[in-house]
Amino acid sequence: MSQYWPFIVIGLFTGSIYGLAAMGVVLTYKTVGVFNFAYGAIAMFCAFTYWQLHDSWGLSAWVAMPILFLVVAPLLGVALEALYRPLAGLSAEVLIVVSVGVLAALGAVVPIIYGKQDRTLQPIFPTSTFALGSHFHVGYDQLGTLVISLAVAALLWALLRHTRFGTSTRAAVDNPDLADMVGVHGDNVRRSAWILSTMFAALVGILISPTQGLDVNQLVLVVIYAFAPAVFGRLVSLPLAYIGALVLGVVVSLLSKYANSGTVANVEAALPYLALFALLVIMGGRLKEAGASSRRLSVSTRSGGGSGGAGAVRARHWAVGVLGWRLRLERKLTVGLVGFALALFIPLAVPGPRLIDITFAVVYALIALTLVVLTGWAGQISLAQFAFVGVGAFTAGHLSGSHGQHFLLAAVVAMAFAAPLGILVGLPSLRLSGLYLALATLAFALIMDNVVFNRGDVSGGLTGITVPRPKIFGLSFTGRASLYELALVVLGVVAVAAYAIRLGPIGRRLQIVRDSPLAASTLGVNLTVTKLVVFAVCGMVAALGGTFYGALQQAVTPFDFMWSTSLTLLLLVVLGGRSLISGALIAGAVYGVEQLPIPASVNQYFPLAIALGVIALAQEPEGTVALARREARRVMSVLRPLPRRSVGGGHQIPVTAGPDVAIAAGRSPMRSGHGL
Amino acid sequence: MASETGWEGPVLRAADVTMRFGGLVALDDVSLEVPAGRIVGLIGPNGAGKTTMFNVLTGLQVPTRGRIDYLGDNISRWPPHRRGRAGIARTFQRLALFSRLSVHDNLVASWESSHPGAVLGRNRAKRIERVAEVMGLLDLWPVADRMAGELSTGKGRMVELGRALCTDPRVLLLDEPGSGLDAIETAAFSAVLQAVVSDGGDRHPEVAPPAVLMVEHDMALVMDVCSSLTVLDFGRVIARGTPSQVRADANVRAAYLGDASAV
Repeated sequence: MSQYWPFIVIGLFTGSIYGLAAMGVVLTYKTVGVFNFAYGAIAMFCAFTYWQLHDSWGLSAWVAMPILFLVVAPLLGVALEALYRPLAGLSAEVLIVVSVGVLAALGAVVPIIYGKQDRTLQPIFPTSTFALGSHFHVGYDQLGTLVISLAVAALLWALLRHTRFGTSTRAAVDNPDLADMVGVHGDNVRRSAWILSTMFAALVGILISPTQGLDVNQLVLVVIYAFAPAVFGRLVSLPLAYIGALVLGVVVSLLSKYANSGTVANVEAALPYLALFALLVIMGGRLKEAGASSRRLSVSTRSGGGSGGAGAVRARHWAVGVLGWRLRLERKLTVGLVGFALALFIPLAVPGPRLIDITFAVVYALIALTLVVLTGWAGQISLAQFAFVGVGAFTAGHLSGSHGQHFLLAAVVAMAFAAPLGILVGLPSLRLSGLYLALATLAFALIMDNVVFNRGDVSGGLTGITVPRPKIFGLSFTGRASLYELALVVLGVVAVAAYAIRLGPIGRRLQIVRDSPLAASTLGVNLTVTKLVVFAVCGMVAALGGTFYGALQQAVTPFDFMWSTSLTLLLLVVLGGRSLISGALIAGAVYGVEQLPIPASVNQYFPLAIALGVIALAQEPEGTVALARREARRVMSVLRPLPRRSVGGGHQIPVTAGPDVAIAAGRSPMRSGHGL
Repeated sequence: MASETGWEGPVLRAADVTMRFGGLVALDDVSLEVPAGRIVGLIGPNGAGKTTMFNVLTGLQVPTRGRIDYLGDNISRWPPHRRGRAGIARTFQRLALFSRLSVHDNLVASWESSHPGAVLGRNRAKRIERVAEVMGLLDLWPVADRMAGELSTGKGRMVELGRALCTDPRVLLLDEPGSGLDAIETAAFSAVLQAVVSDGGDRHPEVAPPAVLMVEHDMALVMDVCSSLTVLDFGRVIARGTPSQVRADANVRAAYLGDASAV
C-alpha cells in the first residue's frame, strides 16, 4: 500500500486545483448560463500577471497577491460580465463561439503584453518536504495547496448555502424576472458570480503554473481537466464537481505509476478527456442546458415579406418546383463560376513561393466548408473538425507511396477512416446538443490529439512524417502551379455540390433538423441517420482536405493537428460567415494571409484581431459577409440619386438612409442564406 | 400498410398507457380510441397529461407501460419517424415551426420527410401538386414566402396543420390548435378542420381523409367539431362520451371547477 501513497498525494494536490477550476466553471454556468471555455485562458492570464508583478517587478507576495485578487481578477470579472450581459438567453452556439473567442483573445494578448520568452513562476509555498511516516515525504507546497483549495471550496459552498448571496443566486437562476420583482438584483448576482469565478481562476493559475510551467497553451489545456468533473456535477453541483476533480486527479496520478511510455502513457494523458467524453455519452439525455427553455433565436427573423399577389406567388413556386434549384441558383452560380475561372489564372500573376500560401488558403477553404455544412447548416457544433484533417494528412503520408503515385488510393483510404470516426464523434449528437455536444467534440479532439496523433507509428512522433506531392493517373502535381490548380478544382467541385445540395431537399432536411428536430422526427425524418451521415460526410471531406494539406506542406507533425487547430477553424469560419459557402472562402483567405511572411511585430496582432472580430460577429451567421453587405447597402443608399422633386412640393419627406437601411437589414440573413 | 388491406377497426388505439416520471404519474392506465373519419377530443385541466399522451402516441416519449396500435399493428416500439411516415401526424402546443424556412418550404420539407425517396428528388410532380393543394386549402398562399418564424400564432398553427396534412396522414393529432387564435381565426380553423375530415382537403379519392384526435381548451370549438370526448384529470380518464354527455358529467364539472360554466 505504502508505494501508492506518494501518487495519491500528488493526485490530491493536482485534483484539488482542478477542483477549484471546476467550481469556477460551474459557478458561472449555473448563475449566468455561460459555460466558460476560456476558463483556462483566464487562469493563464492571471498567472502571467502575477509573474509580472511578483517575479519580474519584484513586488512582495503581500503586495502582488492583493493586486491580483482584489484588482486584476475583479476587473476581468466585471469585463466578462459586461461582455456576456447582452448575450443573455442567446443560443448555445453563440455563447460557445464567444467564449472560444475570449479564449483565443486572451491567448493572443498575453504574448503581446508579456512577451514570449520562457519563464517559470516560483511556487507560493516552500517546496521543502516533511516526512510523514517512515518512507514518505510530502511537500509543503502540496500540503499548502490542498489546504487552501479545501478552505476556499468550503468557503464558496458556505457562501452559497448560508448567505443572502446564495439565496439571491438561486432565485436569479430559477426565475430571473421574478427575482427582479422581489428585489434580487440579477445584475449584481451575475457580476458577483463572474468576479468570484475569475478570482478562482487566478488562484488556479498561480497554484498550477509552478508545476505545469508558465506557458500559454499548456495552461489553457490543463484547465480543460476541470471540464470532466464539472460535467460530473451536471454543471450545477459545486461539491460533486470538486469531489469529481479530486477523484480524477488521484486516478490519473495512480495510472502514471504504471505508465512510463507507449500507449498507456498516451491514455493516461488523455484520461480526463476520455472521462469527459464517456460522461457526456453516458449521462446523455439527463443533462439539461441552463435556460434552454427560454432561448431566443440569435437572429431575429425579419423579411421583406411576399411580393406580388397570391396567384403570382403560386405560379412562381410552381415554376421553381418544376425546374428545381436550377432557376434560383443561376445568378450566384454565375458569380461563383466567374470567380473560379479568374482564380484559375492566379499562378500567372503569382508564380513565386507565395502561390503555396494561396494554395493553403484554397485547401483551408475546403476544410472550412465542411464546418459550414456541419455547424452552419446542420446546426451541429464541432470543436474537432481539424482532427479529420490530421487523419487525412497522416494517411496520405503513409500510403501515397514514395513519389505520391498512390495519392488517390490514400485519399480514398483516408476518407474510409474518417467515415467511422465521423460517426463516432457524431454519436453524442444523438442525445446531446449545443453545449454538451461541443464539449463532447472537444473531448474527441483532445483524445485524437493525445492517443492517436501522438503515436510514433501514426504520426512519426515529434519529427512527423513526410507527405509526397500527388501523382494521379500518371499526372504529376509536384509543381506549385499544378498543385494549386488541382486543389482549386477540388474546392470548386465540392463547393458547387454543397451549393446544389443546400437548395434542394437535403438542404431543407438539414435546416429542419436544425430548426426543430422533434417536429422533423414526427414528420418522418430519421434524426439518427441524418445526423450521423452529416458528421460522416463532413469528416470525409475534411480528411480529403487533409491529404492535400499534407501534400502541400510535404511534412506533417502532430502539432499541425493539435486540438486548438479545430478551435481556430471554428473561429475563422464564424468570422467568414458560418452559414455561407463564401464564409468558408473568407476563412481560407484569412488563413492564407496569416501564412504570409509578415513581420512578427505586426503578425502577432492577427490572432487577436480575429478573436475580437469573432466576439463581435458571434451573433451573425453570415459573419463578415453580412457586415460587408450591410455596409455596402448603407453606402449605396447615401449615394443614390435624390428622387425628382415635385414642383412646389417643399414639404416632401426627404429620402434618408434610415428606411433604406431598415429594408436592407430586413432582407434577413436566412432569406439570402443560400449563399455562395 | 394495413389500410389497403381493409382495416375496419379504430385507426389509432391506446391501451392501458401508464407514464411515470420518477414519483409523478403523468398518465395512469389511459385507454382511448380514434375511429376513422371522426374528430375525437381529449380534454382536461392543465397538467392532466394530454400533451404527454400525444408524445406517447407519436413516440417522442416511451411509456412505462401500455400499448399503442395503429391500423391493427402494434407500434409501441416504433421510433417517431416511422410513425410519422406511416401516417400519424401531429401539431405542437408550443409552435415547432421550421422558423428559418419559408411557409412554402415548411410544407415542402414535410412532404419530403414523409415520402420515401423524396429527399433524393423523387416524385417531384406529386409533391408540387399536393403542397399546392394544401397551401390553397389553408389559404397560405398570401404568406408563402414569409419566414415561418415571423408569423402570428394563428397563421403559425395553420402552417403546422398544413405541414401535418402534407404527410398524407391517416390520423391527425392536434395539440391545442385553438390557443392563441382570435374568434375569427377559430371559426376559420373549425371550418377548415371539418373540410379536412370530410374529404381530406384533397382531390385524391384513394386517400382516406384523416381521423383527428385533438387536445383543446376552447370548449366552444370542442363542442362544435368533436363527435366524442375523453376527459383526463391527473393522468386518469374521468369521463368519456359525446360532448353533451360529458357536459352533464358531475366528475368533469368538479375537475374543471371554475371552468364548469364554460362547459
